[in-house]
Parts: sequence; C-alpha cells; structure tokens
Amino acid sequence: MAFCRIGPIESHALPRVAIKRLGPMIFWLIAIAVTAVACAALFYAAAGREVNAAIPKSGETNNHFKLLLAGIDADVASGKLGPDQALAARAELAREVLRSKGDQRAEAKPLSQGTVLVGLAAVAALSLGLYAVLGHPDMPAQPLAERTDVAAQNLDLDAAIAQIETRLAADPGDVRGWTVVAPAYVQLGRFDDAAEAYRRVIALSGPTAELQTDLAEALLLGAGETGSDEALQLLQSAVASDPAHVRSRLYLAAEYMRLGRYAEAVPLWSAVLDTANGDEAWLPAARQGLAVAQNDGVDTTTEDQQQMISGMVTGLSDRLATEGGTVEEWTQLVRAYIVLDDLDNAQAAYDDAVAAYPAAFDRGELDTLALGAGLVLNGGSQ
Amino acid sequence: MSIELGHFSLILAFAIAAVSALGGLVLWQRGDRLAMVLRQASVLQFVLVAVAFLALVQAFVVSDFSLALAANNSHSLKPLIFKISGVWGNHEGSMVLWILILVLFGALVAAFGRRLPSDLSNLVLGTQSLLTAAFAGFTLFTSNPFERLTQPPLEGADLNPVLQDIGLAIHPPLLYAGYVGFSICFSFAIAALVSGRIDQAWARWVRPWTMLSWIFLTLGIAMGSYWAYYELGWGGWWFWDPVENASFMPWLAGTALLHSALVMEKRNALKIWTVFLSIITFSLSLLGTFLVRSGILTSVHTFASDPTRGLVILSMLAILIGGAFLLFALRSSSLRQGGLFAPISREGALILNNLFLATAVGAVLVGTLYPLVLDALTGTTISVGAPFFNLTFGALMAPLLLVLPFGPLLPWKRADLVAAGQRLIGMAALAIFLTILISALGGVSISLAPLGLLLGFWVTFGALAEVIERARIGRIPARESLRRLIGLPRSIWSTALGHLGLGLTVLGVVSVSAWETEIVTTLNPGESTELSGYIIAFDSFDQVAGPNYVADTGRFTVTAPGGRTAQLDAERRTYVASGMPTTEAAIQSYGLSQLYLQLGEPLDDTHVIRVWHKPYILLIWLGALVMAGAGVLSLTDRRLRVGAPQPSRKAVPKAAE
Repeated sequence: MAFCRIGPIESHALPRVAIKRLGPMIFWLIAIAVTAVACAALFYAAAGREVNAAIPKSGETNNHFKLLLAGIDADVASGKLGPDQALAARAELAREVLRSKGDQRAEAKPLSQGTVLVGLAAVAALSLGLYAVLGHPDMPAQPLAERTDVAAQNLDLDAAIAQIETRLAADPGDVRGWTVVAPAYVQLGRFDDAAEAYRRVIALSGPTAELQTDLAEALLLGAGETGSDEALQLLQSAVASDPAHVRSRLYLAAEYMRLGRYAEAVPLWSAVLDTANGDEAWLPAARQGLAVAQNDGVDTTTEDQQQMISGMVTGLSDRLATEGGTVEEWTQLVRAYIVLDDLDNAQAAYDDAVAAYPAAFDRGELDTLALGAGLVLNGGSQ
Repeated sequence: MSIELGHFSLILAFAIAAVSALGGLVLWQRGDRLAMVLRQASVLQFVLVAVAFLALVQAFVVSDFSLALAANNSHSLKPLIFKISGVWGNHEGSMVLWILILVLFGALVAAFGRRLPSDLSNLVLGTQSLLTAAFAGFTLFTSNPFERLTQPPLEGADLNPVLQDIGLAIHPPLLYAGYVGFSICFSFAIAALVSGRIDQAWARWVRPWTMLSWIFLTLGIAMGSYWAYYELGWGGWWFWDPVENASFMPWLAGTALLHSALVMEKRNALKIWTVFLSIITFSLSLLGTFLVRSGILTSVHTFASDPTRGLVILSMLAILIGGAFLLFALRSSSLRQGGLFAPISREGALILNNLFLATAVGAVLVGTLYPLVLDALTGTTISVGAPFFNLTFGALMAPLLLVLPFGPLLPWKRADLVAAGQRLIGMAALAIFLTILISALGGVSISLAPLGLLLGFWVTFGALAEVIERARIGRIPARESLRRLIGLPRSIWSTALGHLGLGLTVLGVVSVSAWETEIVTTLNPGESTELSGYIIAFDSFDQVAGPNYVADTGRFTVTAPGGRTAQLDAERRTYVASGMPTTEAAIQSYGLSQLYLQLGEPLDDTHVIRVWHKPYILLIWLGALVMAGAGVLSLTDRRLRVGAPQPSRKAVPKAAE
C-alpha cells in the first residue's frame, strides 16, 4: 500500500546517516585490533618455545618418549594400570624408541623469525583485503525490534483509511484521496463504499473506460450472483468509449455469458483474443468462453474429455494388468474410473493396485482418492 | 555491527587456516617452533569461527532480516529454539556449523596433542588447516552466509516446516561431528604418507578419534532415522534415500576402520589398509555432506543449489579425494609392512569383517551413484530402490553376522576355530530355541523372518559369550561372578556391548519388517477401528492455532489389548509463512513396540486415518544407543592410549604360538 509508507521514515533518516558515516571507521578499527591480537598470539607462540627451550633440538624425539614414559608411571601410581600391564606398555615403548631411532632423519633448520613474520603479514593482508572486497562495513544491524520502518509499515490499514476519510470529510473535492481509498475499500470487502468512492472520482475527474470498469467491478462484487444493471451499462459505455480497453470487454463478455446473451459475447471474446500476446492470465478463460459462446452455451469440451478418458483408460488398464506399473499409474487409472463414474471398475483397479503395492506408505494419494470416492480397502494390507 | 564482525572473523579464520596449511605442509620438518605456531593457529581458528557462528545465531534470534540468510530462513514468530536451529537448517549456515566442528576438532588435536612428535603434529594440523581453508573459502566465495540486504523485508520467509523440530537441533550437529571427526583420521593418514612414518603409536592416536567420530555418527544416524520416523508421517525408519546412504557409507567404512585400527594397534599389521580406510572414510564423509549440495541429488536433505556451486563442490571433492589417493598411490609402498598371522586368528576375523563391510560400502555406493551416472551419461532415469539395497546389503550382512560372534573369542596370531565354536554352542542353542519358539507362537509362514531372527539372537547372545565365560557365571558363586564381571577389562565390555547393540538393532529390524501391521480407513469423530488388538477411537476433531501455524487436530483414545488406555493427538499443520503442510503423527509406546497414528488428508465429510503397529521397533534405536555407549566405554579405557597390550591369555594353549 503506497499510502502506508508516507511520513515516519523520512523523519528518522537523519540520525541513521550519522551512524552510517561513523560506523565503518569504528568497524575497521575493531577489525584491525582483532587481527593484531590474533597475529600477536601467533607471534608469541612461536617465540615462547625459544624462551623455554631447555631441551636441545636433537633430543626432541627422546623428549617425546620421556613424556610418554612419565604418563605410564603416573598411571601406575594412580592405579589405572596394573604392574604387568605397565611392564608390557614400557616394553612396547622401548620397541617404538628403537624403531624411531632407525627412522631418524637429518634435522631441518628451525623456523626463522622472518618466516613467521612473513606468514603473519600474509594473514593480516589476506583477511583485511578479503573483507574489503566481501564485507559491508557500513551496514548497521537492523534487529526487528529496533526497526522504525516496521512501525510505519505496521500501521493499521483501517487506521490509515480512517485518517484519509477524516481528510476527505473536510475536503470532499480531493481526487487523490478518493483514488487512494477506493481500491483499499475493495481490498477490505467494503464494496458499497468502494463504489461510492469511484463515483466521486468519476464525478471529479470525468469518466474514463478504466474508472467505469473499476466502478462496475465494485458493483458486481457487491451484487454477487444477481448482477447489476448499472454495472452492465457502465461496461457497455466503457467498451464503446475505448476500443482498445481489454478489462471492460472481459467483464462485459462474462456478464453476457451469465445472462445467456451468447451472440453478443462472441465479438467481445474475439476482440480480446485478437489483442492477446499469448501470455495473459485470462487467455484460457477467454478461449473457452469463445468456444462455449459460439456453441450457444453448450460446453463441448467436457464431452471430448469423456471420450479421451475412456480411450486412455482402456490402454492403461490393459498395460497395468499385463505389465504392471508405478503406483502413480494405478492412481491415474482409479481416478479415471471415478471420473467416468464407473465405480465397479474403480474398485477392481483399486484392489489390483493394493495387491501390487501392499504397503500403505506407497499409496498415500491413491488411498485418499479411493476412500474419498467411497471405495473400500479390502486388499491384502492387513 | 555484530554481523559484520562475524563476517570478518570467518575471513580472518580463513586467512589463518590458509597460511597455516601452507606452513604446515611445506615446512613440516621445521620442528617445535612451527608446531607451537600451528597449535596456536588451530585454537585461534576455532575461536574465530565460533564468533562468526554466534554472530549468525544472534542475528537469527533478534530477527535481523538485513542478514539475507535470516530473511530467507527465519521468521519473527518462530519459537526461540527453532530460530537458533534455523541457523544450520540451510546450505550456508550448515556450512558454518560444519567448519565450526572441523576447527573444534583441530583445536582438540592441538590441545591434546602436546605429546605428538612435532613433525607429525605439523602435518596433521597443516592438513586440518587445509581442509578448513578449502571449506571456509568455498563458503565465503560461493555461499556466503553473511550476505546483507539493503532493503530488509518485514518478515522472514520461514524455515521449511519439516525442519521446525527438535530433531534439527540435534541431528545435524551430531552427524557433522561424526563426519568431521573422521577428518582427523584423514589428516593422520596424510601425515603418515608424507612423513613415511607409521607405527603402533600412530594407530593409538588414530583409534580414539575414529571411535569418537564413530560414536557421533552412530548417534547422528540413529537420531536422523528416528526423526524421519516420527516427522515424515509414514512410520518408515530407513528409506535408502541417497542422503541416508551417504551418511551410512562413512559409518560402514568407519566401523571397518575401527576394527582395522585395532589390528594395527595390537599387532602392527594392516598398516596400509588402515591408512587407505582412513582416507576412504573421510572421503565418504565429504561425499555425504556435499553430494546433497551439488544439485545432482534431490531429497528431503537437498538445499536449494545453483549449478556453479555444484561444479565448485565437485571439483573441490575431486582435488581433495583425488590428491589423497594419488599421495597414497605414490607413498604407500614406502610404509613398512607389519606382523604376520595365520588366516584363522583374531586378525583374520577382523580382516573378514573389513572385507564384508568394505563390500557393503561398495554395494551401497553403486546403488546410490549408478542412477546418477547413468542419468548423466545416457539420460536414462532409473530408480534403484529399497529392493536392491535390501537384497545386496542383506546378502552381505547375513554372513558377517553369522561369523561375528566368533571374532572376539579367537586369540591373536593363530586360533582354533573348533575351540571357539565349542564355547559358542550354548548361545547357538539358545538362539535356535528362541527362534523356533517365536516362529511357532507367531505362526510364521515360509519367509526370511525366522532366519533374520536367528541371526539377531545369535549375535545378541554370542556377544555375551565371552563376558559370561570370563565371569564363570553359573560355575562359581554368584558373588564371585559379579566381582569378576566388574573387574573385566573395559575393552571386553565394549566389544560385547558393541556387538550386543548390533544384535538388538537386527532384532528390531527383523521384527518390524516381518510383523508390522497397518490399516488405512476413514473415520468420523465418534467412530472407532481396530488393529492387532488395539482399539482406536476417534474422539474429536479440532482446529487449533500454534505460534506460526494452524493445525487440524484429531484426538484419539487407544485401548491396548491389556485394557490400558492412552490419549493421542495427531495433527496436520499448515505453516503460515510458507503455506506448507506437515503431519505430526501420534506415537504411543507399549514396551518396545509402538502404535503410530497419522491423521490423513481431510475428505468432504470424513477423515483418512492411517494406523501402524510396529512391534519392537524401539530395539532399532536402542541397539544404536548401546553401540554408541560401548564406544564411550572404550574411549574411557586408559590402556587405549598408552598402548599396554593385553597380557597373553592363560586360557589359550601355548602350543598355538
């Protein structure tokens, strides 16, 4: 609703601009600080071992095994290992030491300070650079509870209409007010008010095919099944005044169909079909309307349908009986029999389907269809 | 600003991982100093990804729809728990959860790995960082969860209603912990291949991680199965859906790995095979996580995916998995082969186990991928359904279950099959007796059910054979037996319980498959129907409104054969935001059996009601829980990590040596 958005948003625009300007700077400061802390942690991790380096590098493997041995001793002391198990564990460790002696390779030179610094520089450059590409440092968080535009949007439709109505009561000549409020009335189902509003608009700005159709629509919606003579006249006038207006022709054709005036409907249907591009939503309805109107109100398509279905049924039931098929095909067959009102065959097909698919899991749609049509489940599912 | 800080944290974690991977894999021989840096880097990666994840959670909780992910997957009216679990109920968010667990495992290796030799530690953490960098990079560049909307919508699009369930809070984190845990085994395997060093210490390192991942995966699959059972509304607990298969394959491979690592740890044999299995298991885990996201599969699990993303995923998998296997092909010959053993021995039995499990993985893999490949190459669409899997998988599992009880009774190196057989005679007799009794009472026609039952009982009782024998139950005073039972090593208990759990699951599967009953009927309030002795009365029908859905609720009273009554509510919900319907089945447990009631589609003047009776179905998941419990027990066994081999058994004749 266009009229819901006016007002409050603009008044809040100012402070947000201020946040927008300051936000990114604060954000970048935090991001750089986080990167610095992470790099410092890594740097001191590299330095820490050097400070505590009590064991020479060549003894590193021995150091590892000493730690393992100490672990076993601790386990024995705390009773987690029995003496014979500890003995076996120590022997196993000794074998490992022997093996690893054989594996001993030349020690590469240790990691230099420079390498660490290069690595850290890469981390900082990669993270800050990538964020500059992917991130949105200027976007503030917008949790639902704090959003001001929500309050504006949530403005009650009724309240908005009431507001406009007050304004219109003071100034009934406000065409824009009536133009805004009329479709809102339609949406709320207040068709009489809508018709009144459209009358006002027509009175103030002069009749057009579009406005006449809108008014006729409101009248027809309000009248329901019975129809409205005034609407009929309005539509006729709209069609007459604008030779290219489609919506009025569709409505008028539909009205003629309802009244049984097929001969008058035919040229209207033909006219709108001539203007069609091929992707309009009303196209199928117009085509069917034309066909029915040309046939004086008898819908031949249903007869064709019946013939098509019986043809399909014969083929399908033969194939399913001899070769079997998917549960969808069985469902199709049962549905076809139900449409043809041939419940005996439907029941027989359903029984065969249940025999072919004994688990109810497979037959969700089929069961619903069959039980809905009054068939009985007496297949072998129990 | 927290969203952007989360975004930056993820990027910083990616940068640290990328540099660590490079450093760890190139400079791995540079000793302690690098190891310290890599450990610190692993912990930092975890902290940073955790911050990113929490930023997403926060945005979902406060319904900040300027985050595109929240706008697409959340709704301000959703209960808090589903707002939080909604973070990973979609492709982008679940990638962040996946990475979070990956870096958590990396940090755990860093924390517990102080005693690792530094070159091994460098290689393991380097590989782990490589995985983090690859998947964080994939997330940031192709599926960034931190995308923003300049015009945030008023309300979110809501989460798929099927996922608005406590199951989503539990199932993916458990499953991912399982999948990702195997990355540690993968990293250790890569480290072994690169350094050329592999020994029993390596196996001792790998086994707890395998065990931990396997426990999570077992629980994750069981939870997923139970979730599908109660949520999808069909009472099916396993559908051989490609995604289920994708999670089942790493489980099978992981189970094989668990057993082969045992041989390697105890006997220093099967080294190359264990390394190979480590790579295979994690590769299958990757397949499990990503096959669903590549857009070549569709199922309940499929997230909306675009073709470019699928291509990136497939090439990433190809590079990672292909690279690992290339490394294996080039380097595995440099690994030293280990101890020798006779075919009939504990080692032999474990190899037999591996053989069957690996073949089963192959069968499931073929059944899952063959239709895809065929479709891609020839355009022919075929569907490989449950019958294929039941037949091939069943045919492979039957012999495995048959020989399973023998395994734990065989000594290492060389064993006497007849002696082991004699010790199992009692259990075999018990299993046969029970099967005949149940078949006679149940009036079973000729089918596979008695055979299945027999296998189930055989595995269940056979698992207990060693425990019973060691405690000498029935042969010495009960008090003494109890003392012996408590004193048994945990490894014996965990083996027995693990196999017992498998037996229970088999029994549950057989029982549900053979004796499940169902009824489909139409009922009006006030009418009733009957199934397997249970009387189901339809009391009333109502329409109720939930927080973000409206529901048709049917109230039923079920009277059990014993006269016990229970009130059940079955619902059909329609979620407001998406308009999607879900079925909330009513489930009532009777001991280990369940009655499963579904309110079906509404008809003009009546309701379709489906009822299933599922005998002993809870055994399926109870068995999985027992298996996972056995894993936990094994993890608490201190000897697992210091490598104290079992003192040679006095009971075994020395002549066998």
